[in-house]
Amino acid sequence: MSLAEVLSVLFDSMIFAAAFRMATPMVLAGVSGAFSRSTGVFNIAFECFMLTGAFFAAAGSYFSGSPYIGALCAMIVGMLMAALFGLCVFVLKANPMIISIALNSGAWAMTTLLLLKIFKIRGRILDPRIKNYTPIHFEFLENIPYLNEIFNDQLGIVYFAYIFAIVCYIVMYKTYFGLRLRGIGINAVGAQTAGVNISRYRWVTLLFMGMFSGLAGSYMPLSGLSMFSESMTSGRGFLSFAAILVGKGNPIKIALVSLLFAYADALTLTLTSYGLPTQILHTLPYVAVILVMFFSCLRFFKGSAEI
Amino acid sequence: MKLNLSEHSRITLVKYLISFILTMVLGGLLVLVQGESPVEAVKAIVVGAFGSKINIGNSIRWSIPCMIAGAAATVAFRSGVMNLGLEGQIYFGAISGALAGAYVSLPHVPHVVICIVAAGLAGALYTLLPAFLRLFFKVDEMITTLMLNFVATLMTEYITIWFIMGGNMSANGSASIATPQISRTAELSTIVKGTTANTGFFIGVTTLLLIAFFFKYTVQGYSARQAGQNMSFAKVGGVNVLRNYISMFLVSGFIAGMCGGIEVSGSYHRFTANFSPNLGWEGMMVTRVAENNPIALIFVSFIWGVLKAGSMHMERVTTLNRLTVNLIQMFFVILVSIDYDLLFRAAQEKFRKRREKKEVAL
Repeated sequence: MSLAEVLSVLFDSMIFAAAFRMATPMVLAGVSGAFSRSTGVFNIAFECFMLTGAFFAAAGSYFSGSPYIGALCAMIVGMLMAALFGLCVFVLKANPMIISIALNSGAWAMTTLLLLKIFKIRGRILDPRIKNYTPIHFEFLENIPYLNEIFNDQLGIVYFAYIFAIVCYIVMYKTYFGLRLRGIGINAVGAQTAGVNISRYRWVTLLFMGMFSGLAGSYMPLSGLSMFSESMTSGRGFLSFAAILVGKGNPIKIALVSLLFAYADALTLTLTSYGLPTQILHTLPYVAVILVMFFSCLRFFKGSAEI
Repeated sequence: MKLNLSEHSRITLVKYLISFILTMVLGGLLVLVQGESPVEAVKAIVVGAFGSKINIGNSIRWSIPCMIAGAAATVAFRSGVMNLGLEGQIYFGAISGALAGAYVSLPHVPHVVICIVAAGLAGALYTLLPAFLRLFFKVDEMITTLMLNFVATLMTEYITIWFIMGGNMSANGSASIATPQISRTAELSTIVKGTTANTGFFIGVTTLLLIAFFFKYTVQGYSARQAGQNMSFAKVGGVNVLRNYISMFLVSGFIAGMCGGIEVSGSYHRFTANFSPNLGWEGMMVTRVAENNPIALIFVSFIWGVLKAGSMHMERVTTLNRLTVNLIQMFFVILVSIDYDLLFRAAQEKFRKRREKKEVAL
């Protein structure tokens, strides 16, 4: 491959369009998770919320014939799973990491079992009765050549995710609610002394996270595939968690980082046609996480090992 | 001191009892919802796990990976290392164990040893990158190990296809992406005829006993435990936290790699892409159920093995799917993680306050 060819692949509008689209679940889960994270709650159960969300989105869409009913189901179920997490961790004082791991594994077992019980299928369901989200067409974009291909005719939920990130940024940094939230993250005891009801903030943000992680899960089966398969999220939840860590809880940064991961993911779509091994290409988003973490932590380097 | 200890064990006992009863109730409901009788299901599980010599062998076979993955998690969590990358280390351990088994020829015992050591070394090497990034750049090892899990699954598949099968892509489906069969000399001996229950069981038990001894009776073990409880406190107390961190990380990776090697050498006799049914995560959960106690881990992993072997039988004789048992296991993990001690004390406090209030009112 010549350099020009490489560049034309890397800056292909198709890849950017795919990245823009594929970042959706990570943006939704990452941004909503940032709220919970900023109250100092350790939670890696994204995978659970997203997977159950994905299943119930598919099921809801299948039975009602509307993707929006599916999305609603996904949000409710995501919230219920988050409530379960909250019940175990906040009320019953269990270790959040183990609860997360158990929920992640439990979500896989539950969705696969439900798939078997409701649809009598093991593994995956592909059915046209699972109605997808519909794309939105913007006429004013038609005349702009490059951007038109990237931003036009995407699914509604894709645009919603980015608007959501901006709104969340405003909530997080320009409102009293966000101020208190960040205060809890910086010093929980201090915030409590100042009269903030920590427990209520933790519950609200947790349920919020569950709701939108569920919605994030709904993207996967309803983005044109009409399909749900077991362990469909395949690490997207962990990628959102990584995006939160890299973006340091800032919704805009999280959205940008998610875009970067999604870009790495989207590269696999075109690079496979150049004969590069698919397995290596599929590692790209995960490698991207490690590289981004590495570069963002370069300033900590002191020349010697330290802990 | 004596009283204190007995109280702790009493609380632990009560905790397991409550969790067990609640799990039974929830599990029973889950079975009832699916239109089966819970008694039948339990009967099927017991028969499947203990009904015959072969069934007992199957139970032992499934307890082995749990035990060793749990050992790796115990080492990590007790000494303050957030190693969530067991799955990845198991994969690399398994593939290098399989290669050592297939391409080296040696007499039986040294061959098995070479296999397992190669597997362990691969697992330990795979922890080097996260450990290095953590120590020099303060990159959270939790996230790097998590990501390396996915990388390991894909990389081992890649290595198998392109370097071992020679890029022969005629294979379809991941079941056929596999390394050649290991030689007979590299196989761990079976302890129950007709099953793949193997001497890996003794390796697992020995490893756990060694870990228990290490944490209880050696200075290094004590320092590691201190560092696990409170890193800065241990540092002030003169523990070489740096050495502790890196060595415990490597040991944890080594044991996880061994787990993969033993799975290959003892049961599968070859490396297959995507072979692991979430062994790493299961190990972490088992460790939690055993409360990081290596001795308790032996029993818990045996129970896990029993449930796995039993659930496979249950799937054959009833209409229930074995995922039901998976879900019930999750219930148990969640219920055991609940801090009953704290809840009990909080309830006591509330009760006392209410009584005091009443007394004041009187």
